[in-house]
This record gives sequence, structure tokens and C-alpha cells, in this order.
Amino acid sequence: MSTQKRTKQINLSRMRKSVAVKPLAVGVAGMFLSACTDNRQQADIYTSVEDCTSANPDATQECQAAYQQAVEEAARTSPKFSTVSDCEYEFGDNQCRQVSTDNGSFFMPFMAGYMVSQLLSPRSYYSQPLFTSSSRYSPFRSRWVTADGHIFSGDVRKRNYRVNSSTFKPKPTVSRTISRGGFGSSVRAKSAWGSRSRSSGWGG
Amino acid sequence: MYGEPYWDESAYYQFSLEQIEQDIEAPTAELHQMCLAATERVVNSDALLARFSIPAPYWGLIRTAFARREPSLYSRLDLVYDGKHPVKLLENNADTPTSLYESGFWQWLWLEQNVDKGALPRQSDQFNSLQEKLIHRFADIARQKHLTQMHFSCCKDTDEDRGTVQYLQDCAAEAGLDTDFVFIEDIGLADTGVFTDLQDAPITDCFKLYPWEFMLADPYGEALVEADVDWIEPIWKAIISNKAILPLLWQMFPGHPNLLEAYFANDCPALSTGKWVKKPLFSREGANISMIEDQQEKALSDGPYGEEGFIVQAFHPLPRFERNYTLIGSWLVDNLPAGISVREDSSLVTQDLSRYLPHIIL
Repeated sequence: MSTQKRTKQINLSRMRKSVAVKPLAVGVAGMFLSACTDNRQQADIYTSVEDCTSANPDATQECQAAYQQAVEEAARTSPKFSTVSDCEYEFGDNQCRQVSTDNGSFFMPFMAGYMVSQLLSPRSYYSQPLFTSSSRYSPFRSRWVTADGHIFSGDVRKRNYRVNSSTFKPKPTVSRTISRGGFGSSVRAKSAWGSRSRSSGWGG
Repeated sequence: MYGEPYWDESAYYQFSLEQIEQDIEAPTAELHQMCLAATERVVNSDALLARFSIPAPYWGLIRTAFARREPSLYSRLDLVYDGKHPVKLLENNADTPTSLYESGFWQWLWLEQNVDKGALPRQSDQFNSLQEKLIHRFADIARQKHLTQMHFSCCKDTDEDRGTVQYLQDCAAEAGLDTDFVFIEDIGLADTGVFTDLQDAPITDCFKLYPWEFMLADPYGEALVEADVDWIEPIWKAIISNKAILPLLWQMFPGHPNLLEAYFANDCPALSTGKWVKKPLFSREGANISMIEDQQEKALSDGPYGEEGFIVQAFHPLPRFERNYTLIGSWLVDNLPAGISVREDSSLVTQDLSRYLPHIIL
């Protein structure tokens, strides 16, 4: 017989056998420990401009600019909460500030650090804001976490990582969701027909 | 399928390796390439796009997505196969195919367990590399697009669809991706024009088990261009999964052994003789199908579809084993044939293929 026509190996413990709908949660897991090895680059975390310049005495300007870039990115993309208690539940006491915009007022965590890559490269460097939490209810406690909820492995004392370059791709901005429910009405129209139960889905 | 199907308290179908490789795997790869060629012709023709009932505002989006070869994950060709004659393509479920979990995981496990307990010979194999290929494909897509996270979505109140999507999330996680789930009905639109999940996180890359023709007809259809989501399946699947592809294939590859004669219902030359099946362009679950015989049309199934137009396809009966009609679902992951699922129905129209049977190669 030639080659096997079926999947060689299935990790049974990781493939669930029945559907358990997980609660919606911020994305977790140490993604940078996964097997993707291509395209990774060294990235360092600094908690302030001074922290950066003391590690890179020749790059004072770059440290300042990277910090500024991270602050702006944080204003755009950091997690936003409608109440201070929701924010503090996730990030810890006194870790949140109130922000007022044209779209209303909300709470977001303070930027706790910024991650920089290729600071000394002649081309360009990448910078993004990082957050951390002191709340014992939070998966972010004592970890570095990005604006979109990715948690770095190891605790906040770890200051350098090898990261995928996509880590620095800017996330689209959302300041508020203005409507929901704009998808799905065609389904309602079609299922209004007949009495068949809708448990079987729209697959072909 | 050596003549008689094998039944015991757990039935299964048995194929030879030759049947699998020559009769199913090779034609599946070829049919898929033919469908891609037909899709290319459609995206380059306003007349064909209109004929496929694609609303004109989306033509640009489809053309761009196809020109960029926006990556596809998977599809399922429904084939008629009696074990002896060339397979015939009934339709191409390229946009929202289901029964994936049964095929990729459950069927595989069934074989392992039956071989382990000695109920099946040790050399039994199965045409089923679905799970392996799905994981590789997710890893490919993640690499190509520099992704670390992807959203997954399906409609509410459909356990079966949620199960399919959960299975795909598990495959994506095996490939190293973080996965987030949001129901189709819960997707939001932000002030900045992007789609959001219930945490207000932007949706940038999303697998959706929801037909493209519905997405285009929904109120958020208008927001698709600006939202700039990389969808899986990509929007060009609206062409390849459209039943209008069947008459176009027949026009491009007339007399191909794996095709059934097919025409658009409104310019159909040969209906005075023979038996024909008439199907809506967008039908799901075998709805709104009728049979035309001696110019008499008889409805075989009821349903909400049809305003978008119909095609007719030469009637080709499903093979019958014992009391059941059998349909082969032949899977592709991207361009690669990846296995089959066998489904049975007690009626000739495949309205509700609830019985799924595993298979072996021996």
C-alpha cells in the first residue's frame, strides 16, 4: 500500500468531543511560544522614556518618539470601559483613568510600558503600548498584555521577547460600536418559512 | 461499495484504494480546477456576474478578492458515485459546508477504535486527511497574513453550525492562532467603519459559517467595503458556490465525464425529453427543488428560495444500497482533496441527509 490516506495523528485531549460553548473572554494564551518561528525579532519593553534611554544612551530621540507613538496608539486602541469599577476589576485599583471624547466618557487603563523593536535600525522602529494588572481577578495580573488582549508569557519582570513582526501591526481603531444586528436578517427571513426547527444550521 | 454495503450494528462503506484515488480523489482535484476556471470567467464578465445574481455594488469587491487570490479554507463537492461509473458533480458547497466534524474527527476516531479492538483489519485505511490539512492550512494562512488571532462566527440557535465552528476553532488553535467567537447577529459596526465583536474589539480576520448571498443582502452588506475584513471563506466563494456555476461548467467543458448536463432555466434547449432537476441559484438544504419530466414540472421540496433564478440539471439518480440513497461529499482543503464523507437519505432528494456513515479503504 502506498501512503496513508488519513490524518496521521490527532491530539485527542485537545480536540473536544462535544461542543462546549466557551464564555466570551479576552483572548489568552502565550502565543509567542507557539511554533511559528519565522519573522521573529527581538523586542524590548521599557516602562518609561528614561528606562529606554538608560538602556540605549545613543537613542534618546528614538526612545522619546517610540514612547510618543505608543501613547498615541494606547489612546486609540486600549481597552475601554464604561465604569471605573469594570476597568479596575480588570486592571487593579487606581490603574485606570477617565477619558472624555466627543463620543462620551469612558475609562481606560494607564499604559504601563511600551514594547520597542528595531530601535536602532536605520529604517524604522516599531512601538506599541503595553498594560499590566494588579487585580487578582484578572488573567493580566503581573503580566504584560497588549491592547488587544494578548498576554505575554512570564511576569512583568521579563523585559525582552522574540516576537512576530505582526505584533506591531497597528490595530484598527474602535472608539465605540454604533449599531449591532446588521447581519443575520436574511436568515430570519428565510427561517420564517416553514416550521422546521433551526437547529440544523445554514451549511450546505 | 463492493456491490453490497456492509452492515452490522454499526454500518460503514468500504472502498478500494483504486476507487478512492482514481474515481474520487483525481476527479475532485480536476473539478475544483474547472470551478476556479469558471470563477475566473465570471469575475471578468459583467453579464455573468449579473447572471449569477450578484448585486452590482459588490462586483469590485469580488474582482479584487479573486485577483488577490484571497485564501480559501475548505469546500465540499457533492458527488454521485455508484462504485463503478465516473462520479458526477451535483453541486459545489464551497461557501458554508458542514458535517466537517463528523468527517475529520469522528470518522477518524471510529476507524482507530475499531482497528484497535480488532473489529476491522489492521491495514484498514480511510480517505480522510481533513484535520491534518485544516491545521496546516490555518498555519499557512496565519503565516501569509501575519496573523496571531482570528474571529469565528455563525448564527445563533444552530447547534450544528456552532459545533462545526468550534471544531474549526480547535484546528486553528492547534495551528497556534488565538480564536475569538462572535455570533453573526451580534457583530457590531463601529464609528470608524470596522466590524466589532461584543467586547468592541475590531474584527480584522474572520471565519464565517454564513452564506455570502445573505451577507450581501443584509443591512451590513453596505459596510463590507469599508470594514475591510479578510473573510474566510473569501467573497469570491459567492461565485464558486453558486448553482449557476453548473451550467457554466457544462458550457466550458461540454461532455466532461464528471459533469451533468446543465442550463440556465431561462435558456434551456432540451427540456422536451428526459428528466431534469430544477434548482434555485442559492438553495440551501435541498429546498425549492422540482423535477421536470416530459415538460411537466413537479415540486419535490418546498422552501423560501427562487426569486434569484433557477438552473436545470440532468437528473442522475443516487445509487441505492439496501433501502438508502447514498451521496458522497468530497472535501477539499484549499486546492487539495482531503477526504470523503458518506451520507444517506431514505428519499431521492437530499433534503435531510441526517445519517452519516463512516468508510474504510481496504
